[in-house]
Amino acid sequence: MMPLFRIGVTVVLALIAGMACGDDRVEFDREIRPILSENCFHCHGPDESRRKAGLRLDVSNTFDRKSFIERISAEAGDERMPPLESGKNLTPKQRNLLLRWIEQGAEYQPFWAFTPLIQPPLPDLIANTPPTNNAIDWFVQAKLDQRGWNLANQATKFRLLRRVKFDLIGLPPTPDEVDNFLRDESEDAYERVVDRLLASPQYGERMAIDWLDAARYADTNGYQVDRNRELWAWRDWVIDAFNANMSFDQFTIEQLAGDLLPNATLSQQIATGFHRNHMLNEEGGIIDEEFLAEYTADRVETTASVWLGQTFQCARCHDHKFDPFTQRDFYSMKAFFHNVSERGVGIYANPIRRNAPPFVQLSTPELDSKVASLKKKRDEATRELDDYTSTAKKEWKPDLSDEQKQAEQKSLESQPRFVELTAAVAKCKKEVQAAEDEIPTTLIMSESKPRKTYILDRGAYDKLGDEVTANTPAILPPMSDALPRNRLGLAYWLVSNENPLTARVTVNRFWQQLFGSGLVRTSEDFGTQGELPSHPELLAWLSVRFRESGWDVKQLMRLIVTSHTYRQQSSATQAMHDMDLDNRTLARGPRHRLMAELIRDQTLAVSGLLSQKIGGPSVRPYHPTGLYEQVTAGNGYNVYVQGKGDELFRRSMYTYWKRSVPHPAMLAFDAPFREFCSVRRSRSNTALQALNLMNDPTYVEAARFVAARMWNEGGSCIEERIRFGFKLLLSREPSEPELQVMVAAYNRAKDDFSKDQTAATELLSVGENKRELGIDAIELAAMTTLATTFMNLDEFISK
Amino acid sequence: MTNNTIQRNSGTLPHRLLRRQWIGSIALASLLTPRLFAQSSGAIAPRAKRVIWLTQAGAPSQLDLFDYKPGLATQFDKDLPDSVRGQQRLTGMTSGQKRFPVAPSLFSFQQHGQSGMWLSELLPYTAKFADDLCLIKTLHTEAINHDPAMTLLQTGHSFGGRPSFGAWVSYGLGSENADLPTFVVMISRPSGPTNAQPLHERMWGSGFLPTKYQGVRFSSGKDPVLYLSNPPGMTLDRRRAMLNDVASLNQLAYSELQDPEIQARIEQYELAFRMQSAVPELADLSHERASVFDRYGPESKKPGTYAANCILARRLAERGVRFIQLYHRGWDQHNDLPKGIRSQCYDTDQPTAALLGELKERGMLEDTLVIWGGEFGRTVYSQGVLTPNNYGRDHHPRCYSIWMAGAGVRGGTVFGETDDFSYNIVRDPVHIHDLNATALHLLGVDHTRLVHRFQGRDYRLTDVHGQVVKEILL
Repeated sequence: MMPLFRIGVTVVLALIAGMACGDDRVEFDREIRPILSENCFHCHGPDESRRKAGLRLDVSNTFDRKSFIERISAEAGDERMPPLESGKNLTPKQRNLLLRWIEQGAEYQPFWAFTPLIQPPLPDLIANTPPTNNAIDWFVQAKLDQRGWNLANQATKFRLLRRVKFDLIGLPPTPDEVDNFLRDESEDAYERVVDRLLASPQYGERMAIDWLDAARYADTNGYQVDRNRELWAWRDWVIDAFNANMSFDQFTIEQLAGDLLPNATLSQQIATGFHRNHMLNEEGGIIDEEFLAEYTADRVETTASVWLGQTFQCARCHDHKFDPFTQRDFYSMKAFFHNVSERGVGIYANPIRRNAPPFVQLSTPELDSKVASLKKKRDEATRELDDYTSTAKKEWKPDLSDEQKQAEQKSLESQPRFVELTAAVAKCKKEVQAAEDEIPTTLIMSESKPRKTYILDRGAYDKLGDEVTANTPAILPPMSDALPRNRLGLAYWLVSNENPLTARVTVNRFWQQLFGSGLVRTSEDFGTQGELPSHPELLAWLSVRFRESGWDVKQLMRLIVTSHTYRQQSSATQAMHDMDLDNRTLARGPRHRLMAELIRDQTLAVSGLLSQKIGGPSVRPYHPTGLYEQVTAGNGYNVYVQGKGDELFRRSMYTYWKRSVPHPAMLAFDAPFREFCSVRRSRSNTALQALNLMNDPTYVEAARFVAARMWNEGGSCIEERIRFGFKLLLSREPSEPELQVMVAAYNRAKDDFSKDQTAATELLSVGENKRELGIDAIELAAMTTLATTFMNLDEFISK
Repeated sequence: MTNNTIQRNSGTLPHRLLRRQWIGSIALASLLTPRLFAQSSGAIAPRAKRVIWLTQAGAPSQLDLFDYKPGLATQFDKDLPDSVRGQQRLTGMTSGQKRFPVAPSLFSFQQHGQSGMWLSELLPYTAKFADDLCLIKTLHTEAINHDPAMTLLQTGHSFGGRPSFGAWVSYGLGSENADLPTFVVMISRPSGPTNAQPLHERMWGSGFLPTKYQGVRFSSGKDPVLYLSNPPGMTLDRRRAMLNDVASLNQLAYSELQDPEIQARIEQYELAFRMQSAVPELADLSHERASVFDRYGPESKKPGTYAANCILARRLAERGVRFIQLYHRGWDQHNDLPKGIRSQCYDTDQPTAALLGELKERGMLEDTLVIWGGEFGRTVYSQGVLTPNNYGRDHHPRCYSIWMAGAGVRGGTVFGETDDFSYNIVRDPVHIHDLNATALHLLGVDHTRLVHRFQGRDYRLTDVHGQVVKEILL
């Protein structure tokens, strides 16, 4: 019943909010534009081709007021606006707001997200000064003041430690870390933890995960054939860039146009893999131009989504219905991405095995010398064969006819020595090929001869309209004349001071990563149909600060996680949940389920099985048998061959990502397919998740190792071991009732398994890691049951 | 609803299907999908409570199964007139062909039932239900390659990212069974040596709808649902005891944190546990009578076949599962069509008919909508060498045949007409959006009202298109 209840509460809240500001001036941005956008822009908005009656309600206020009032007041008939057949409907409250707006002069405000980014002053606080000097807290408290609320107390230290570790490096605290932090009473104990985490190499891994979603990173091409590709070097570049705290402007420039930088380094070329992450079609029967149109459109849409927070896909077929972007804008953007030396049909280079051009090879000295020595061997073998042949030919009579020559040649080729030498050459050539194939590659961007770019009628690849040249959207501040009209110029424009969107959109995404949702909750849509920021001044302040810091990501993350707002306790009363279910006021700390990757990662971490290795080719951990074969064509590259040893225990971001069949545990916990750019994951709560955590061998095996740690490191009695389990898995001490549940569970399980030793042995046999743990099977099985219990708690998979 | 509410829910909760017109079983509906039933103004009376979608992946040839063209017999090996082919785009498989020789079907057609519906000799079992079928001969699509076409058929858009039909239906109508998923998918491979086109998880995915609405794939073997079975040594009793502990501890956490997500988690663990009993019970065919297997044919005893999946489809329908989708692969007969299609019909004809028969006998065809068809049709001209006994057919999007049966569909009817070459539509075109609009209509849902706000706009299964094909409704 909860959702129904939630809606009810929101409606009530909305009404209260409406009443509270009933006598004030109507605020266009917050109150009017959403109504117009929802109900009117479709026919009276930016899309010129669909505009009815020449009336435009999105920009000017020159419309006939009297007629406007009549039309929106009409209940039925042809007069009624919005028309009945549109399925849209003004509520009495909305109508009332519009009428009041007209009465007050029908003033427009420019759309907030496109206005220049100016840093607002800190707010004047009425009642309570926040406990820190952090500007974030001042802005948040100012908003709470409106309700007469206060920031909540700081979360308990263990919860805070757990929260910040997951947020900055994606792993839970160790029991020692918990103890040390609890003991450390110095004033800056928390700040020192934060600094240590920001300096950890795992910080880059954690930060990269969200970026991989945005960049639609995967290990296969997608579409029907869905063959393997190599782009992991780009993924590792992202990790390294975050770890090195590369400024976000540089991060942008290198990924969009690293190849166009003067004297581009190999690393800068690798960075451009960002825009080769899109899908690639190899299906027989497709048309080159058709899919080139797809790839370039994908780049436009991804760029618009990631840097501008705009839904450009609408403008591919027609002018945007809600936002001031035209179809011309779309194709002018496309022109930036249309000159890559690529093909629409994803035919691989010769040899047919690795990647569709353009790509670079990433050799190592070892591989180079291996190839060189094999080539030498091949050349020697070839020479030997040549020598043998020419020696033999010297003995031929000088004046042979062509026919005789052929006969001699045939006889030569049948000599055992000739056959032997020829076979040797062939073998050497194969070896060279095999060694060359060992050299990894990675997809990159590179410019070829400029292609002409046209507006495509209704987005159809073969319906060419006007020719366009590379340019940025007309509604946004123009590109400086000094900038080249290519990807590099585009990248510089995106991070220029004049661009009002990049900083806002980026800060919002980082905020979302920490708080579970952005200040603008629709982090993918900063347009008129998106949500308005919950804290507009805070977003502006942070965005300017971020830009002026030189786009310093670590500094931004540090600023946010050291705010009191972030450090608040997340518990709240039922009443509080009812009044602000989604915590839009930020009156409590963030608490939500971990993302798919982190659930498995922390399990491996607490079990001690987690591999520390960073980067490299993707790996294949446990996977249900036969899954690929059921869905895919089931040929050579569509068979899942499980990895070995440490490959089973790498962090989940390294799990091989096949677009047509992503790892089922990833999908179960809301990871996207990575076919397209995605900047926000949903967070569902399903039975399939429960089944995964209970029965996936990953978790069953890890539970055994967790149990062994509880047994060996926890102490000498059951109670101590359970206490250790709480600290290991939940970063805290148990309450008395919790301890009782677990002790009883242990006794029951032990009793049970001692009557059924076979079951105990079986339970302990799951997984490839057969390391002998030296603990009695019955006791270990009972403890494993406890570990499984821990690992299925809401608290375990939440931060 | 207020504008506020719409925004609040965007992206995380369904928000705008509040015009669900179906009044039946309010109590259960309110239990399971509290958001999704509402005022009955302008109600569409639902005829279907559930859908069984028998997807024939790879594109069955309409010319050899449904679209009888006796006139073609005299056209053997003659070139398809340019006037017929018009500007139709060719796939890369035949664009290099010098000729487009007409390949009449090798198979004979007879009239069946009181309606006198013409059906191919390849479908002797299905033909017995001719009077229950509504054969649409004029379905058409834009996509000409498998992946975009199947994605369009299932999601209303040829590129990924949108929710599948089944996901929309579970989102809109919810479940009638508290122990099983709302949307179940089963995939079978051809028994013959034919090319099985790959599928994609997105075809039953939830797109931008919450993940809980995605299709849950049932497969044969130890785990009908992924990760369903307990590990060795973990009996159901032990699992129950463990889950009791999990529930106690989650409850303690809830009393401290008051986060409603914790309550939801407790409920989902209970559902998982119920599924651990309900799904194996469902998948266990050992109690089915021998006569059932006889009826579904020799393949039905082999787990994972289309025939076995048809029996499971009936069992799922009996248990109130809302959307049951089978995929049978292997219909992509670019060459050696006669051999390939025989084998495909061996796999599917008898079990399909058995399913229709069983539903009918149980009175369930009344409120079950059955749909049979693929992602596009096939060309009248031969791909590759044409001989009197052999030919192949390339992809053809301009017209193809599918059938619907049950729940409010007018049985014994043929809708739409194609030209003499089954190449162009002459009368009554039905686009995939129209098909989907019609299917939703039968479920009591106005396709223009089942929407979800994503990236600033309201999306629906039929995009901005779709007309209910009223003529085929009872």
